[in-house]
Amino acid sequence: MSAAVTDTPAFRPGPRAWAAMVAAEARMVARDTAGLVVPIGLPMLFLVMNGLGSSTEPLPGAGGMSAFDIYVLPLILVIGVATIGVVNMPSFLSYYRKSGVLRRLGVTPASPVMILVAQLVVSVLQTALGVALAVGVAVLGFGANLPDRWGAAIGVFALAAAAMYAVGLLVASIAPSPNAAVAIGLGTFFVLGAVGGMFGPATSLPDGVARVGELLPFGAAVIALGTTWLGEAPELRHLLALAAAIVVSGLLAARLFRWQ
Amino acid sequence: MLAVRADALRKRYGDRDAVAGVDLAVGEGEVLGILGRNGAGKTTTVEMIAGLRRPDSGTVQVLGLDPWRDRRRVRQLLGVQLQESELHAALTVSELVRLYGTFYAQSADAGELIEAVGLTEQRDVRFERLSGGQQQRLSIALALVGQPRVVILDELTTGLDPEARRHIWAIVEGMRDDGVTVLLVSHLMEEVERLCDRVALLDGGRVVAQDSPAGLIAAAGLGQRVRFRVAGAFDRGTILALAEVTDVQVRGDRVTVHGSGDLLAAVSTALVGAGVVAMETRLEQPTLDDAFLALTGRSLEHEGAA
Repeated sequence: MSAAVTDTPAFRPGPRAWAAMVAAEARMVARDTAGLVVPIGLPMLFLVMNGLGSSTEPLPGAGGMSAFDIYVLPLILVIGVATIGVVNMPSFLSYYRKSGVLRRLGVTPASPVMILVAQLVVSVLQTALGVALAVGVAVLGFGANLPDRWGAAIGVFALAAAAMYAVGLLVASIAPSPNAAVAIGLGTFFVLGAVGGMFGPATSLPDGVARVGELLPFGAAVIALGTTWLGEAPELRHLLALAAAIVVSGLLAARLFRWQ
Repeated sequence: MLAVRADALRKRYGDRDAVAGVDLAVGEGEVLGILGRNGAGKTTTVEMIAGLRRPDSGTVQVLGLDPWRDRRRVRQLLGVQLQESELHAALTVSELVRLYGTFYAQSADAGELIEAVGLTEQRDVRFERLSGGQQQRLSIALALVGQPRVVILDELTTGLDPEARRHIWAIVEGMRDDGVTVLLVSHLMEEVERLCDRVALLDGGRVVAQDSPAGLIAAAGLGQRVRFRVAGAFDRGTILALAEVTDVQVRGDRVTVHGSGDLLAAVSTALVGAGVVAMETRLEQPTLDDAFLALTGRSLEHEGAA
């Protein structure tokens, strides 16, 4: 009998386990009806409200793009990824910690890190779905134009998404309970959004607030993304602001996250 | 080799010793009960054995491996059912069993395991919609899905109705028959008496006694009692001289005999020999709770569930 123990391989859960974990998180998200309303519904609401109100006439000197293309569509995409990253993901992670799901996984060969990664993967999939839906409706319903340099737009959007997920991880790591995670997540989302131009053009904000807002992840993402719609290269300071959000939030989250 | 070995385990929380020097030795295939009141240090002890908490001092070995240093190997060999631990609320029984099965090198067949814990009818029901007893049975299934050699079960029937409890006991008896080593944390005497080969009594963070249930009762030095009723007069001398008898009390037609050994047979034989007709004869043996009371100074029964 004793030989069997030293023979026991130090087995690591393999691709099957990772796939099963991602599938589990996907089911959790898909079955959480309330959680789906915000990331899918909110961008749609903004899209329709703005689509009905804003002009799709090409702006002078904007390469054929309208105000809807360069202001509204980027804003809607950022709202989508911000709600998923900053509001939804932390509420799942916080619930897993509070209810002991992470603790339970901690006594299996699976690492709780797997659940974190799986939740991120599902967030990315969910984001991709939300983006496809919003862009589809915008193009088909409101005659929106897509950027010519779509590679740059995707790159900027990926950076923005990473920044939102990093902020979300930070929210998850400081929230003491699932309710607090939702409250802190929503609060963070609305503050970042408000100073980043979610409720109207940043030009109508006080000067100082607007300047800070455009260097926080939401504002930086909207401006950088809008610039790529114009066919221009985003300003370096906005890209650096997003990168800084990833590094700072990520490091803080890694320091503060508790498994139980 | 021992399945589980703990030497001088200590754990402090603040200024309180939760575990103050626990030694345990569990042989392979043995079912060890860890019995004690709330706050006796039972859960902290098994959490240290499971590698969930690090002891302040002392050592733990599971099948000769250190749960911290040989974490990956131990995780493959040890199944754990935690107290008050939830699972993914929106996943079904069969999804959860399959998910946890992918974590192990060799996992049990999901369908058979679900059948074994009696959840076949609920296999497509979400965790959040299961009853307490069903959730507990699923929790046991997940502890077994990696075909472990050692299983830790923490308060597995607390808060369940008697029927659910008996169902879960039958599962544990099945594990014992399969040669799985089981550490069973409990504060239910009946559970421990029925399932365990040996019992470690914890009190104030220490093991105050460790023996078979019968051995603990014997060690507590509590005798047995035979009670019966007689018609007419009864002479104490008839049985007081027997070697097994230590005392005889007569109150009206009711007789209580205190003693040890094969008391009932000795008393019956003597009564028949003397021509005494005894009615309603019954043997009262001390229970594990009586032993617990004698060994720790306080009773365990009728204490509220954790």
